[in-house]
Amino acid sequence: MTCHEIKELTVPYLELDLEPSRIRDVTVHLDGCAECRAEMEAVRQVLVRVKGVAVPDPGDRFWNEFPDKVRRELARERPPIPSGLRKGLTGWPMALAASVLLLVGAWSLKGLVAQGPAPAQPRAVAQTPQAVEPELPQLAEADWQAFWDEDPDMALVEMAASLDRQAVDRLFGEI
Amino acid sequence: MAESDYQLLDRYATGDGAAFEELVTRHQKTIYDLAYRMMENHADAADLAQRTFVQAFLHHQSFKRESGFRTWLYQIGMNLCRNAIRDQARRVHEDVTELELADSQDILAEVAGTEMKDRLGRAIRTLPTRQKEALVLRVYHDHAFSEIGMIMSCSEGAAKANYHHAVDRLRRALVSGEG
Repeated sequence: MTCHEIKELTVPYLELDLEPSRIRDVTVHLDGCAECRAEMEAVRQVLVRVKGVAVPDPGDRFWNEFPDKVRRELARERPPIPSGLRKGLTGWPMALAASVLLLVGAWSLKGLVAQGPAPAQPRAVAQTPQAVEPELPQLAEADWQAFWDEDPDMALVEMAASLDRQAVDRLFGEI
Repeated sequence: MAESDYQLLDRYATGDGAAFEELVTRHQKTIYDLAYRMMENHADAADLAQRTFVQAFLHHQSFKRESGFRTWLYQIGMNLCRNAIRDQARRVHEDVTELELADSQDILAEVAGTEMKDRLGRAIRTLPTRQKEALVLRVYHDHAFSEIGMIMSCSEGAAKANYHHAVDRLRRALVSGEG
């Protein structure tokens, strides 16, 4: 082998990334060529030094807090909950969505019937402390669409999770 | 026996928060190390590591499982690092253009001082991005070239070539500095 060929094979040789026969050829050449031996040693030293460059450990506190930071950022980046569930609902997500909508609808109707045909008082006065509607998130349609397209199951789960728990309990109680 | 990444991902998909925690904890040091070696500072490394996981979990349903979850994280992380380096280079170019109008003597003195600090670090820092990627993945993360090719979205041969060029460049930088 020529010195030029050896130069091309220096890194693969040091990495043992060569056919055994090629490794033998390079070794034979190195035995008889001081210049290539020096070159090989120089490259080996470079690799040793590069490997020796350490990354400072940011510490236990950083590692312990890291998953929570990811979780918070993930929640922030995910488009919030949809304002309307319309497209492509199937299976249990469909059932969940339908249930929520039915409950909200039934609760609203019940309120109307109880209120009578012509409320004599202004609406603000007629409201009782118990009549708190569960708030469905108010989102831009584009945000919802993106979230729904991305992960419909999680979209529904987060919608359910975001409903005010006490309001939902009251809703079930009333019905 | 520890659950595989795939099993944890399946659990995460059903809303299991513990699986999320386990996946992040399992890979956070690897991805931070990758980001640190590419960006060479803690703030950027922490930010990019975090964004890597956020992207992975945001798009976990598009992960086809043709590679390991860790390899996929590497791909996302490396893409984010590449974009960040590109943005930094653009900003530096703009800054330098502005600085050229400032006091050139001060700048030259500062550059000369910096040059003496860390020759190897500087040599690694000035590697072309693709060469640096191959170097980091090979030397610090012990990946096979086939996997490096997968992460860098190139052939195994191109990954090897980038790595060899990187080592050669470092050797020349160190030799010229030592002479």
